[in-house]
Amino acid sequence: MRNIWAIACKEFIHVIRDRRTLGLLILMPMMQLMIYGYGINTDVKHLPVYLYDQDKTYLSRRLVDAFTQSDYFAVKVQATSLQQAYKALDSGAAQSVLIIPPNFTGDLLKKKGAQVQMIIDGTDSTPATVALNSSQAIVNAFMQNEGLIPIQVLPIDFRPRLWYNPDLKSTYFMLPGLIALVLQFLVPMITASAIVREKESGNIEQLLVTPIKPYELILGKIIPYLFIGAVISISIIATMHYLFVVPIKGSIVTLFFLTLLYLIVCLGIGLWASTVADNQQQAAQLVMLLAMPSILLSGFIFPRESMPLLVRDISCVIPMTYFLKIVRGIILKGMSFYDLLDQVWPLLLMAVVVIVFSIRRFSKRMA
Amino acid sequence: MSDIAISTDKLTKRFGKFTAVDEISFEIPYGSIFGFLGANGAGKSTTIRMLCGILAPTSGNGKVGGFDVQTQPEQIKTVIGYVSQRFSLYSDLNVVENLTFYGQIYGLEGALLHNRIKEVLKLTGLDRFPQRLSGELSGGWKQKLAIANAILHKPKIIFLDEPTAGLDPLSRRAIWELLYQLAEGGTSLFVTTHYMEEAERCNTIAFISDGKLLKIGQPTALRQELRGQILEVTCQPLMKASHLFLTLEGVRGVTVYGTTLNLNVTDEKAVEARVKETAGREGITISSIKPIAASLEDVFSDLDTKKGSTDA
Repeated sequence: MRNIWAIACKEFIHVIRDRRTLGLLILMPMMQLMIYGYGINTDVKHLPVYLYDQDKTYLSRRLVDAFTQSDYFAVKVQATSLQQAYKALDSGAAQSVLIIPPNFTGDLLKKKGAQVQMIIDGTDSTPATVALNSSQAIVNAFMQNEGLIPIQVLPIDFRPRLWYNPDLKSTYFMLPGLIALVLQFLVPMITASAIVREKESGNIEQLLVTPIKPYELILGKIIPYLFIGAVISISIIATMHYLFVVPIKGSIVTLFFLTLLYLIVCLGIGLWASTVADNQQQAAQLVMLLAMPSILLSGFIFPRESMPLLVRDISCVIPMTYFLKIVRGIILKGMSFYDLLDQVWPLLLMAVVVIVFSIRRFSKRMA
Repeated sequence: MSDIAISTDKLTKRFGKFTAVDEISFEIPYGSIFGFLGANGAGKSTTIRMLCGILAPTSGNGKVGGFDVQTQPEQIKTVIGYVSQRFSLYSDLNVVENLTFYGQIYGLEGALLHNRIKEVLKLTGLDRFPQRLSGELSGGWKQKLAIANAILHKPKIIFLDEPTAGLDPLSRRAIWELLYQLAEGGTSLFVTTHYMEEAERCNTIAFISDGKLLKIGQPTALRQELRGQILEVTCQPLMKASHLFLTLEGVRGVTVYGTTLNLNVTDEKAVEARVKETAGREGITISSIKPIAASLEDVFSDLDTKKGSTDA
């Protein structure tokens, strides 16, 4: 026990003296928080629209107003020609072009069936889908409001409601996931380099001739990084909650202990990387190699539901997949430990496997 | 407790087909300095690693401080100190932090640890800069720190793998003075070195080559064995003479020293005559020729040539 403590203290000194690592530990989580909190916003709003209104009547202006008043569109420019509008679409200045023909009001009044065209830039599917659906909805509402079609009583009163994140704020979705992302990156990286550093500099030789036991060495090395990981998690959760006002619906205690479990898995990955790599650079590359698929396949950004079956199977062995469900479940949905059992046991299994495997590999090398 | 600190019996280490250490047997008493000499790759470090309990021998046996190398490596680690070839303390920890860390690992704590650190700092002279980061110490001071670190837990046996490699003469002397002090205190020192004049400082030396123990004994005794077998010849031109003399009957080896040649011979009278005769015939001018006492370097090269002839 005393030996474990001695190693842990020494390890803390290393971290504090190593300005670069310390900087990384503080800056990276904060930078990610700022980027995902302020920078990246997947909520589609105020899409730039070029308007080519050839009718210029009271009704056509009412239609344009309906677009402007919705949050989804911002009518930027009155185009003077179709060419100008298309050019704007080509250059990306406009996301869509709304074309109202000259006889819009006339046709409406004659009940001939007026035509309005919306041309949408389909390059990026997310805003394109939003533009498509919301423009449809705006025009429908417009027709009802103007009395162009009777207000109907439908046989089914269908009322969809959004739970957990009613405003569909992307920060609610992204920031809890960020805990998983940052830990997945940072923790294996610093753990691996802490052990590989000893190999690289020859320190390990001096340690091997002392009566220290392999498990003492490994535990002593893990504890400081477990602590650092916990501090990072707490600071991310605090920033998320107080600065970005993401409510935490579930139990903080459950969240804390399950985060520790995930941390142990991440530490284990770092340990494993350190037994494979010969120098810090190799260790860092290995960790990156594992982190990249985690980010893409775990459901951090792209929904797993839309992935091909094979890819979804692969994502089942990624620890982040389970932890994402845990953090989002606790923070957004208020899920309890029992609700999350299906996520907890795979993580527990991974933790045991990776730690046992690393200690065994490590002891072999000491012989 | 017996007064034998280290003993080995046909200690052997093979890596695959390669035999790094081949049936080495010796005994070292407490309170002596044992010099382990040999070229790079001769098997010195492998032997040390086996004796320190961090490498399992393939066969044979060894006892260090009364513990068995094969079965009790962890007990061995508690009674030995180790100074590795490369500086292997933490360069981002300062002098006292390094000592504190290792002291704790060896089970020292509280006032005991504090006092012991004070003692070793004083002994090594490191009390001048206890707060300096060890990475910022000069080579000689780094080595002193490594030694201070190795003696913290008062081991009875200390292994030093080339403790003076790459140091300037003054630092080397300071290190050796430290080693003498330790040996006087009854500690056994197992030192490997390349430097022959350092070998002279040891109580016992052993030569190892290709994993085999060639010779073991006291430095004076080893030099004595070569008495009447070294001829110092001052002559011109030197290189031509060196090649010619090597072909003469009774000459086992020629070593060039600045302006003189040391001839390792079987019978100095007979060879002296042959040398003079050859020199006269080949136009080599000899300004002096005389038998001299053998140095350890002569002993070393003599052993090497003999080994060469038995190999062939």
